[in-house]
Amino acid sequence: MTSFFDGLLHFRRGAWEMLASVLIAAGVFMLMQPFALVLYSWSFLVTLLGTVMFIIVSHFPE
Amino acid sequence: MLHSPVERVAEATPHAIAKRFRGLSDRSLAWLFVAPSIVLLLAVNIFPLIWTIRLSFTNFRVNRPNAEVEFVGLKNYISILSDKDIWLTMQATAHFLIWTLVLQVLIGFSLAYLINKKFRGNDLWTTIIVLPMMLSPAVVGNFWTFLYQPQIGLFNYAVGFLTGADPSSFSMIGDVSLAPWAIVIVDTWMWTPFVMLICLAGLRSIPDSIYEAAECDRASKWRQFWTITIPLVLPFLMLAVLFRGIENFKMFDLVVQLTGGGPGSITELTSINLKREAFEKWRTGYASAYAVILFVTVFGLASIYVKALNKVKQR
Amino acid sequence: MSYSVTEPSRRQKWFAGVLVVLYALITILPLVWIIATSFKTPSDAIAYPPKTFFTPTVEGYVNVFTTRTRLTEEQLQAVGEPQTWYDRLVRKDGLVISGPSRFAERFTNSVIIGFGSTILCIVLGTAAAYAFSRFKVPLKDDLMFFILSTRMMPPIAVAIPIFLMFRSLGLSDTHAGMILLYTAVNLSLSVWLLKGFIDEIPIEYEEAALIDGYTRFQAFYKVVLPQAATGIASTAIFCLIFAWNEYAFAVLLTSGNAQTAPPFIPTIIGVSGQDWPAVAAGATLFLVPVMVFTILLRKHLLRGITFGAVRK
Repeated sequence: MTSFFDGLLHFRRGAWEMLASVLIAAGVFMLMQPFALVLYSWSFLVTLLGTVMFIIVSHFPE
Repeated sequence: MLHSPVERVAEATPHAIAKRFRGLSDRSLAWLFVAPSIVLLLAVNIFPLIWTIRLSFTNFRVNRPNAEVEFVGLKNYISILSDKDIWLTMQATAHFLIWTLVLQVLIGFSLAYLINKKFRGNDLWTTIIVLPMMLSPAVVGNFWTFLYQPQIGLFNYAVGFLTGADPSSFSMIGDVSLAPWAIVIVDTWMWTPFVMLICLAGLRSIPDSIYEAAECDRASKWRQFWTITIPLVLPFLMLAVLFRGIENFKMFDLVVQLTGGGPGSITELTSINLKREAFEKWRTGYASAYAVILFVTVFGLASIYVKALNKVKQR
Repeated sequence: MSYSVTEPSRRQKWFAGVLVVLYALITILPLVWIIATSFKTPSDAIAYPPKTFFTPTVEGYVNVFTTRTRLTEEQLQAVGEPQTWYDRLVRKDGLVISGPSRFAERFTNSVIIGFGSTILCIVLGTAAAYAFSRFKVPLKDDLMFFILSTRMMPPIAVAIPIFLMFRSLGLSDTHAGMILLYTAVNLSLSVWLLKGFIDEIPIEYEEAALIDGYTRFQAFYKVVLPQAATGIASTAIFCLIFAWNEYAFAVLLTSGNAQTAPPFIPTIIGVSGQDWPAVAAGATLFLVPVMVFTILLRKHLLRGITFGAVRK
């Protein structure tokens, strides 16, 4: 866990990619969950954020 | 990233020798080779994509070419993301997605595990199992409606034969409670071999020596399964799950032919819903915003997929 | 045979074999049923209980290629005796053949568009894959991801702007338009797969050729291409199968002239309602080539479905 935050601080690719993947996954879950309409409404923004982040951070050094 | 050997050779080649290679330089040849593909993809994918994004902010309708096109800002996005019917469509997609993935992973992995026991003739049977995967989903889906007919359908007959139920008492694609399962069954039938093939590759990539070492440590078979087999197959399984997930998120052909989204809109998956908006109601601007939402979702999932792909490649 | 801890026991093998064979038999049943139905008469096809044994007939195949009309007794007499074997076959039911159906046309469209797009795909794909495999292309990883991502896009979402674009370019419902579209759809597969195959060809062959005075292009043409022949062939079959099976674009962007078989087959109807033997006959003619290709491809199947990432 500490190495994960360490990676975020030092702009390492692995940790940031993980974070972006989690955001994308959360966005997809929010899009399709049957529990709350408000989650569905905000899902797109979360996925978009995760996707844009992924594109940017995949250019960080390993 | 490592340079390929030819690059290293090219870098190491003295200039005088390099000059002897007449014709195009590597650099211009590389561009000449890559450019046509990129240009085609830009023309057929990226240009339309930009067009879609532009349209998604308007109220344009294809069937009213003379109506004035207005810029409506984020209105389309807001109305889609607060539309309960589209939310229900997403849930129908989720039901389809989750159950097909669960069933395909369970059956696919079990089959791969059994095939990996290397019984005689396993190649032949693997080839037979794989056949449904390569066939046209639309044509096969259409034929499944015949198998699903009450009374005369082979599926209903088989269910009746096995459970004693009356084959004409239920209709897989006509009953609201059964239709979501009808599409899950056909998709599972069709795509289990996909998961199976990838799992099989994962199982075969595990060197025997690991099991031999575990055997020396007197680890039980059960323990070996959970501490060696599963973790080592997991990256492969992830690959299969992500790919099938993306494919089934945008599922269209098979389900359109099977149920057409019905009865009612109980099996109306996202793509079918989008097709209604775009090509039946002709709300082009609105459908474009819808399409952009799907694009971004798939693009996000695809980037995770490529990450998983590279992980497997390194093995 | 030496004892090995990883070799399954005979009982395990037997048990695994029985389960797998059982699954295979169940999974193949719908396909067998399609082929069987295509040789049934319409009444055999909808019999209850479903008929396993029946007298085969080619009526379904005659029906899929023709359109027929029902005539009254007097009209039938006016038409005269049936001339050919297929005339005689439909005359049993009081029908006469009134002309060919659209099936042959749609099937030909599938062949033209399938092969056209495959050839283009292979030409463009081989060149791009070679460049990605051997040269230092700027932004290589990004380009490769971009190429792959084009395949992931939902066809219905892509179809909206393509529909508009084709309409303004006059490409809607034309062979050229569909070939171009399918080439773009399959190009990602072709580039990724071929890159994998070319990566596997030892670089030394080209180096030797270069030292012998070949230009880079000659080395590509005379050394790499022959080496990659198997890879190119299996990639081509994959592209062909995907173009052959494609439905979403075909149903949205074509209606007549360039319509392929998948959107057409489900619309086959007989004189009274859906003619299942004819649908099955059309489906059989359409699916059997793919089954044959799948069997030929079985060694490369895994590569094809994972874009060359998993090689066994």
